[in-house]
Amino acid sequence: MTTSLALKGIRKSFDGVVVLDDAEFSGNAGEVHALLGENGAGKSSLMNVAAGLYAPEAGQIVIDGEPIALSGPSEARARGIGMVHQHFKLVMPFTVAENILLANGSSAYRSGIKEIRAAIKKQSAELGFAIDPDRRVNTLTVAQQQQVEIVKVLVGGAKILILDEPTAVLTDAEAEQLLETVGRLARAGTAVVLITHKLNEVKRYADSVTIMRRGKTVATLDPSTTTAAELTQLTVGETQTLPARAQNANTGTRLNVGALSCARADGSMALQEATFFVRAGEIYGIAGVSGNGQAELAEALMGAREPATGEIWVENLGDITHAPVSNARIASIAAIPADRYSFALAGGLSLSDNFAVTEIGSGRYGSLAHLDRGTMQRDTASAIVEYDVQGTRSVKQKAALLSGGNAQKLVIAREFSRNPSVVVAHSPSRGLDARACNAVHQRLLAARDRGIAVVLISEDLDEVLSLSDRIGVMTRGRIVAEFERPADRQAIGRAMVDHA
Amino acid sequence: MHDVSALSPESRTNVKPNPTHFRLVLDVRQSLPAWKQALFLAGSLAVGLAISVAILAVAGISPIQLGSELIGVFNADSLRAVLVQAAPLMLVGLGASIAFRIGFWNLGLEGQMLFGGIFAAAVSIYQIGPPETRLLLMGVASAIGGALWCLLAGFLKINFRVNEIIATLLLNYVAVYFLFHLLYGAWQDARSAFPQSTPFKPFERLSDLGFGINSGLLVSVAAITAAAWLVHFSRVGFYMRVISANRSMAKVVGVPIQTVTLWIVAISGACAGIAGFVNVASQEGRLTQSFANGYVFSGVLIAFLSRNDPIAVAVVGFLIAVLFITGQTLQVFYQIPFTMVQLIEAIIVMSVASSEFFVRHRVRWIR
Repeated sequence: MTTSLALKGIRKSFDGVVVLDDAEFSGNAGEVHALLGENGAGKSSLMNVAAGLYAPEAGQIVIDGEPIALSGPSEARARGIGMVHQHFKLVMPFTVAENILLANGSSAYRSGIKEIRAAIKKQSAELGFAIDPDRRVNTLTVAQQQQVEIVKVLVGGAKILILDEPTAVLTDAEAEQLLETVGRLARAGTAVVLITHKLNEVKRYADSVTIMRRGKTVATLDPSTTTAAELTQLTVGETQTLPARAQNANTGTRLNVGALSCARADGSMALQEATFFVRAGEIYGIAGVSGNGQAELAEALMGAREPATGEIWVENLGDITHAPVSNARIASIAAIPADRYSFALAGGLSLSDNFAVTEIGSGRYGSLAHLDRGTMQRDTASAIVEYDVQGTRSVKQKAALLSGGNAQKLVIAREFSRNPSVVVAHSPSRGLDARACNAVHQRLLAARDRGIAVVLISEDLDEVLSLSDRIGVMTRGRIVAEFERPADRQAIGRAMVDHA
Repeated sequence: MHDVSALSPESRTNVKPNPTHFRLVLDVRQSLPAWKQALFLAGSLAVGLAISVAILAVAGISPIQLGSELIGVFNADSLRAVLVQAAPLMLVGLGASIAFRIGFWNLGLEGQMLFGGIFAAAVSIYQIGPPETRLLLMGVASAIGGALWCLLAGFLKINFRVNEIIATLLLNYVAVYFLFHLLYGAWQDARSAFPQSTPFKPFERLSDLGFGINSGLLVSVAAITAAAWLVHFSRVGFYMRVISANRSMAKVVGVPIQTVTLWIVAISGACAGIAGFVNVASQEGRLTQSFANGYVFSGVLIAFLSRNDPIAVAVVGFLIAVLFITGQTLQVFYQIPFTMVQLIEAIIVMSVASSEFFVRHRVRWIR
């Protein structure tokens, strides 16, 4: 067996956040090589480097023993690397043949389409796909679109096929069929890289597996001689025992989410009758693989998205499922969204504008005709001191100039300044360094101790485990399992992937 | 997250790695100091003006002649004409800029001007109210007319998601033909063969206050002042900033987006309506069929150049008025068609629009 694709010492960072650090990978022709890891472990980033999408800051890409520098995706394609991304790169109103022609550039349309049509027929027959080259892509199912993507890269002459979480969008039967096809491809001589976080796929279909954690390669193993428990252990890291914590006196339900369903933009259901409750003085953690409805749940709770059916009930507010964002709602529910600059802060506005915005409607900062900038700035200045927001030269500076951690502190300062009864935090430490992350966690724990009901939605299992009193596991828009503190990390990990 | 640097056009065409090839790298800027932004703006403006001067030179006006004509504008008579012309320009510019501030692309300024003029003329024709308050009533009616015509597009946007660019633009035509319907029919001056209404009575006209200042200018300066206060010192202005800075955040933090939008749409239309009133009650003295021609273009240009700031609208409005009056002079003395003025406006809009790209991106050639 020959090594087709080797990545050595790859390093890549975005805006100072290191996503790949000395990552290694080596895939052989004729085998399915799984790349396993949690969300954000760097799997997709590493393969985006191989596909020429990201230029690595350090390290080497070796193809068939020859070290190369990729100038971009087209060069990667010319070198036989084909990647099927999680989000398909297809032009929806084009036909299958047009899409494939577009990706495998021939300048002549008419003759190009003719050649491509023949190539598609040949390739689909080999793979056992039933693809009509003249169907428009937007009339195909997701599984068929994926087949088009695979045919697209193979028609382009790919010898190394990278599939990024290919089964995430498929039903079980479709997934099985796909993985068997991929196995056949490998036996015919293609090097297949299968990015996944599903253990059973690795065990059943992969010839070897590389495990990544926090941007680093942890191990490369033969899955047939490794147990699922060992793989889980390597994926999630060391299991640490959590300190016991005093339960707050048993208090009443503060927030109740009942059978909440919510549609995505494309009509598919992001939330399917999600049900849970949160007591006053507890942190309810929601764990899960990202993309299972957490974002939609957070948005529904924060008032950014209207649920289709179900109920959101908050003590003293009542049923707020379909209510517009009112002053009372803002006063009771603190929202700490995952993406600070989409729902919490406006980068182009000043710190004081960003801080005061939630209280403007209450009349604290002047009437409709008059804006009391003085009070806004004084309040902001004192909050900045109290919540230790660093790197501020003036309350008039733009919020976009704050670092991630300090922007998050500003959001927390604003949201907590109103004495809320419920806190909804979605990945509150995403993109923060250890110190800022710790500060955020301390704030959440302090809120809990003050008797606030905290919902912590996070894809970082460590965060959920260390902070939560109770943990719900979210899969495909449902809470599929609940765990009391101290929860068993392995059990939660299994619940996250078993239902996926 | 896309690594833009890896997607340079060079890499698409040049598959074989070439150690000496250059590539164009585009970075998105995080922020740019205000003075640099002003520099880019000034630079693009200079480019636009240079192209305009070149085109005029080809049309037969040497830069020297052009310069003397421009200076000539600042004699007493021409200055009066400039100030009369500045009033409606400032008002349409204000109408455009206020709507643009919250991302409502009001391209129906002409239609709203027409309805402003029609409503004002209606007050005159049906002799509503005593002579002392007639002019005031005409002004109020014009604001209502413009506001209603603009709200129609706002209503379509909010309730049926009709793109306001399309709605406002097409409603211009509806307004024009409604005006024609009046001027070729019920409202046509019986003593005139032209499609125009009976002249307004002296007390129905905006008078000259002396020193070259027309009372229409006072109306527009008052509107500018009110808008500057609204935008900079009121809660509504704060809401507008939040809506334009981050709409999804505005929703989550409880900004009444819909109410604010409807009010701003109404105010925008009202400004254009008053501009229509100022035109018919000062320059024309009656309802004519062309008193709003070309104003949507000027309004957008003024809003663009002023970065939607009311005070800057006043300054830019004045400068565009200078351009208008110079254009009229060129038309008379050099037989240059007046469309040349619109051509120059268009060139300036495009230059300023392209400066936006350089404000947001940094372009570098690297090896």
